[in-house]
Amino acid sequence: MWAVLWKDLLIEWRSRDRVLAMGVFALLVVVIFHFAAPAGPAAGGEATREHLPGLLWVAYVFAAILGLNRAFALELENEALSGLALAPGERGWIYLGKAAASLVLLVAVQALAALAFALAFDLDLVPVLLPFSGIALLGALGLASIGTLFSAVAVRTSYREVMLPLLLLPLLVPVLLGAVRATHGLLAEGTVPADALRLLAVTDAVFLIVSFLGFEYVLDE
Amino acid sequence: MSPPAIVARGLEKRFGAAVALRPLDLEVAAGELVVVLGPNGAGKTTLLRMLAGLSRPSAGHLEVGADGSGGDRRARRRGVGLVAHASLLYPALTARENLVLAGRLFGVPDAEGRADALLAEAELEACASQRAGALSRGLAQRVAIARALVHDPPILLLDEPFSGLDPRAAEALEARLAGLHRAGRTIVASTHDLERAASLADRALLLVRGFAALLPREVARSRAALEERYRNGLASPPRLAVGVRP
Amino acid sequence: MSTPPPTLSTEAPEDGLERLARRAVAPTGWLLLACAIVWGLLVVQAPEDAVQGIVQKILYVHPPCAFAAYLGFFLTALGGAVYLARRDPAWDRFAISAAEVGVLFCALLLATGPIWGKGTWGRWWTWDLRLTLSLLLFLVYVAYLLLRSFTEGDERTARFAAVYGIAGLAVIPLNYFAIDLAGGRALHPENLGGDSLGEGMGWPFLAGVVTCLVAFGHLFARRLEVAGLRDRRAREAAEAAAAAGEPAWDT
Repeated sequence: MWAVLWKDLLIEWRSRDRVLAMGVFALLVVVIFHFAAPAGPAAGGEATREHLPGLLWVAYVFAAILGLNRAFALELENEALSGLALAPGERGWIYLGKAAASLVLLVAVQALAALAFALAFDLDLVPVLLPFSGIALLGALGLASIGTLFSAVAVRTSYREVMLPLLLLPLLVPVLLGAVRATHGLLAEGTVPADALRLLAVTDAVFLIVSFLGFEYVLDE
Repeated sequence: MSPPAIVARGLEKRFGAAVALRPLDLEVAAGELVVVLGPNGAGKTTLLRMLAGLSRPSAGHLEVGADGSGGDRRARRRGVGLVAHASLLYPALTARENLVLAGRLFGVPDAEGRADALLAEAELEACASQRAGALSRGLAQRVAIARALVHDPPILLLDEPFSGLDPRAAEALEARLAGLHRAGRTIVASTHDLERAASLADRALLLVRGFAALLPREVARSRAALEERYRNGLASPPRLAVGVRP
Repeated sequence: MSTPPPTLSTEAPEDGLERLARRAVAPTGWLLLACAIVWGLLVVQAPEDAVQGIVQKILYVHPPCAFAAYLGFFLTALGGAVYLARRDPAWDRFAISAAEVGVLFCALLLATGPIWGKGTWGRWWTWDLRLTLSLLLFLVYVAYLLLRSFTEGDERTARFAAVYGIAGLAVIPLNYFAIDLAGGRALHPENLGGDSLGEGMGWPFLAGVVTCLVAFGHLFARRLEVAGLRDRRAREAAEAAAAAGEPAWDT
């Protein structure tokens, strides 16, 4: 598993294509949201601030999908995926390696986007940095876990770029709603609602288990 | 008499409605070199993938590995090295990094040391730090073979290793395979090239459209005999039948 | 070598599941007709709800469809799971049949929901718990079916679809809690226990549920039968092509 993680990160470091695409995308989203939904004291600003957690997480989800789309694309060259599949033992570990790599990339982009959001919308995240990071991590775990599994699926279908969002979005609803609720609660009241955290945790666990076990079947021929 | 390296009984593969490989019985002794011959679409790659543990048979029994771990596919993969038609290398990683990765994946104790040793043995030190994507086909092929050997498997499988190689590289490959064969590895290689097959093979397996015929040593070592059987087989696949379960 | 070419087992004995399906088609068809008539009569003579008016009669269609829609997805996931365990294509046919029939009922569910909504609350759509959950179910169904269409190779399609089916099933309860969390419990008419149904509404409702389930069963049986026939025909064609010496399959 660590080998796969190391490999993915090394390749990413060399080409930096995924993280750049994700990062730029997230920044663009911030810019667009700023123009589409002004959050200043003017009329409607308050409503926008209400919606900021939602906007942030939508940005995260789409950036994640962008990155995940490429996660297995690199495995198709020279059939490298078969090379991984030849390794003895449980193939779920290969899955974990790849999911972990996607997680690392996603967290990096999350940090960047959060910073941009805070600056653009005049949000003060510093006091709640720790809980916010926790929520972000839980959410990212949900995204990366089920996303990696279906990235492996989507990459072997026709229309692969379209297939992944199609497959993922209905499944990501619990992650999205949980994370938004948690973030919203955190920013509005200063504490994270426990039921949202529970939902995120349970969803993450379910997704990880399903993906770990399911990966064997996805790789099998 | 050591146990056979590969045992297949009634091995069959279908893709949906189409049959890629008819029920096949095969026994490969340890240290034997079997060449799999056949035109495109015959099922050679399918067979090799099943032997490698990449593909699950639709029916039949397959044991690969003389130590009896053959039944469980996961463990079986430890005893097999595959050189596929594609190089299985990550273009963005160097040759050495690819080998280290493979070593780690297969649980080789000192992956880095092993990678260096393999590179030295195959005289590839010069391109060790080159990205795999930049290597010529011949060089990439040699790295791919090293990759297949990283965990020192007793069985080596090669899918069309001679295709795309210039004559000199092909000569070198033939010599390499002969050397590995002499050293006692069991080898199963598929090819179109009857000449090479005749000079290397202990036995040959002829596959046409999923039908198989096992050719004994006398035939396998004679270019002319191989050619004749090949042509006959192409003309009428169902009549190939030796070693096919009725 | 004058032995005839070995015949493969494409003359597979008709699968147990499919034999059952074939036998079930006719009886379920008649049963369906009977149920539909009974149900129709009961619905017509059921009293109009004091508050909601005639639109309330959607009650006899909408929740029954829900049963069928959710059952459908459960069966889809189940079929997929058994397929993965046994690698028997018959179970994959089970899964696709359940999915196709289920999505139909899910579409009906989504169509009748707004009609009822408009009639009672004055709005075509609300984001309440059950409606949203059903919408998400529909999206999962659609994604499942699209995944199947765009994957090449029967065996790969079956595998991928099975994994997605299981993931989809797992996500339904999660979605329930997620939507609940987001505050969607407000508007949907409260759960209909026997006692909250007014006088004379119990029987038509029950008839509705039964009819929907029988309809599901009938359509499912037919679809399964068709799937089995198609598969058999494809195998026979492939076998004939192979015997004639044409390539049956491209490496």
